[in-house]
Amino acid sequence: MKHAMNLISVALLLGVSVALAETPDVGEIIERANQAAYYAGTDGRSEARMRITDGRGREQVRQFTLLRRNGEDGKQEYLVVFSRPADVRDTVFLVHKNPGDDDHRWLYLPGLDLVRRIAPGDVRTSFVGSHVYYEDVSGRHIEEDAHELVEVTDEHYVIRSTPKDPGSVEFAAFKTWIDRETFLPMKSEYEKSDGEVYRRMQVLEVEDIDGYPTGTRMRMDDLDEGGHTIVEFRFASYDLGIPESVFTERSLRNPPRQWLQR
Amino acid sequence: MNRTLKTALIATLLLTLTSPGQADWDDDDWDDEPSALSFHGFVEGAAGHRLQSNPAIDDDWTLGEVRAQLEGIYQGDVAEWRIKLEGIGDAVMSEFDVDLREARVSFPVGDRTDVRIGRQILTWGTGDLVFLNDLFPKDWVSFLIGRDDEYLKGTSDAIRVSWFGDRINIDTVVTPRFASDTYITGERLSFFDPARNEIVGAPPRLWGRRPSTSVGNAELAMRVYGMTGANEWAVYGYRGFFGQPTAFDSERGDFTFAPLNALGASLRGPLAGGLYNLETVYYDSADDRSGDDPFTPNSEMRFLVGYEKEMATNFTVGAQYYLEWLQDYGSMQDSWPFDPAVMPDERRHMITARLTWRLMRDNLIISAMNFYSPSARDYFLRPTVQYRFDDQLQLNAGIHLFGGRDGHSFYGQFEDNSNAWARLKYSF
Repeated sequence: MKHAMNLISVALLLGVSVALAETPDVGEIIERANQAAYYAGTDGRSEARMRITDGRGREQVRQFTLLRRNGEDGKQEYLVVFSRPADVRDTVFLVHKNPGDDDHRWLYLPGLDLVRRIAPGDVRTSFVGSHVYYEDVSGRHIEEDAHELVEVTDEHYVIRSTPKDPGSVEFAAFKTWIDRETFLPMKSEYEKSDGEVYRRMQVLEVEDIDGYPTGTRMRMDDLDEGGHTIVEFRFASYDLGIPESVFTERSLRNPPRQWLQR
Repeated sequence: MNRTLKTALIATLLLTLTSPGQADWDDDDWDDEPSALSFHGFVEGAAGHRLQSNPAIDDDWTLGEVRAQLEGIYQGDVAEWRIKLEGIGDAVMSEFDVDLREARVSFPVGDRTDVRIGRQILTWGTGDLVFLNDLFPKDWVSFLIGRDDEYLKGTSDAIRVSWFGDRINIDTVVTPRFASDTYITGERLSFFDPARNEIVGAPPRLWGRRPSTSVGNAELAMRVYGMTGANEWAVYGYRGFFGQPTAFDSERGDFTFAPLNALGASLRGPLAGGLYNLETVYYDSADDRSGDDPFTPNSEMRFLVGYEKEMATNFTVGAQYYLEWLQDYGSMQDSWPFDPAVMPDERRHMITARLTWRLMRDNLIISAMNFYSPSARDYFLRPTVQYRFDDQLQLNAGIHLFGGRDGHSFYGQFEDNSNAWARLKYSF
């Protein structure tokens, strides 16, 4: 009961502060954007399809089902089960995301029955051959960058983020356009040190799913090489009650049909 | 078969592979309910040729085949059925083969147990192409002639029961009939025979007599494992046979697979921005505990320590140190019947280095896996390249270079088997 009262007073305080200040401070915007983009609900399920077009117009396709569960202190678990193309079919990717520390990642290769642990290393590398990075899938830890609110437009808060450890990433800075209503990041542009934009993420469609605004179509452009990847999400649902035990080695060898099917 | 004819046949087989298809984004089944029954497969052409002639083997081709695989999966309400059938036209062996790669059913029993029955691929342990506690069958021939890495793992006709607890998980695998490795027979690859003190090829083909089928001769493999923080730990046990025919039955005059018990453990986890792995195992050669029978393998201790890290974006380096330590070396020395100069070392040290460079969003992967033994002064260098044209068509090529100071050491004996290979695979 006391706990509930605390929650209510916190909620009231938050409500009051939001009402008082026209523009929330940058930390709050970033936190809410992170929540909206990666933490909607207590858990979620979605099917995804990527169309990868390289700089010469050649196309590839990836298709997978994604399960996610929120843990404590910003921790999360992701399970990605591939269904296309043929050479990655039944490959399973498991992530235990640890804000403030390295994520733990595993890959199951069905042909060898091999559970391979992936070295923490660089998460800003291609996710299964697409222009999307591993880090874009599970979210960049927000404390890795310094954030500055540079502009408030009618629709967006525009945040400029600079890495605290510039040597660890390929960008000098990135700008994010965050929707003022939904707090979904609608566009990100990554800049080189001379300010030239070489990589762009755009959310092309947003749908309300189970009460959560969800980006259902996005595009990632490589402006250097000229290629891009379109990602579509369908059959999304939230708050399913997926247990923690789904995000373990068991699911790598035997993907959890109960949670994967529509 | 006539050599020119064989060359032509292999070239034709490679050329018959069809050109890439288009990725079908717009006209596909995205909205349809996934069907319970699905079929997939591939056709692959492969060729491999020796880099030098081999005095022990006439044929300079090590690999020349077309392989077609058809996979069927039936996803039932409870059980999943899966079958992988392969047809292989093999120009080197001049034969056509049908191989059942997998035929298995998987189903849960209660909330905490998964069962998998039938022909399956089984893998565990932490080594990178070094196996200590993984005593499931390997196909060394496929690996050394440049088939897909997948074929390094042989098939087991087994029952696997996996139990998942809150902190501890237990895997139990029973293989009723012992499955050996696919070992070097002298047919494609020559090897050193200590009895004849020379490198030999087939004929005669090396043949090992498998243990008779009985309850007592079934293989049992167990793994108890879990996670502590970010670290994965495992304890392994095995009761069965050495995977290769390294024992000799002097009464019957044939090679056999000596009984083996093994007990081991491993750890794997993050360390300083990379991943470490540690593994050890004790091989108890049950028929030669004193080590004085020259025709039965000695008991052995094995250690492995490895570290892997992404040193630069898309460039990963992995290194391993590995030790094989014969446990009754004194007795073995006393009873060694062959030339003492070709006796194995008491301790075989090995270092592996893997460099992997991923380019063009992983469409091009350049890699080198190198094995070097400072004690035997021998090596196996394995540079490879993989290129993905699109979702259907993939090219793999590589060179396998063996060599060493002595012709009888583990990699030194394969010097004249050094080969270059290429594979083109069309998946559907």
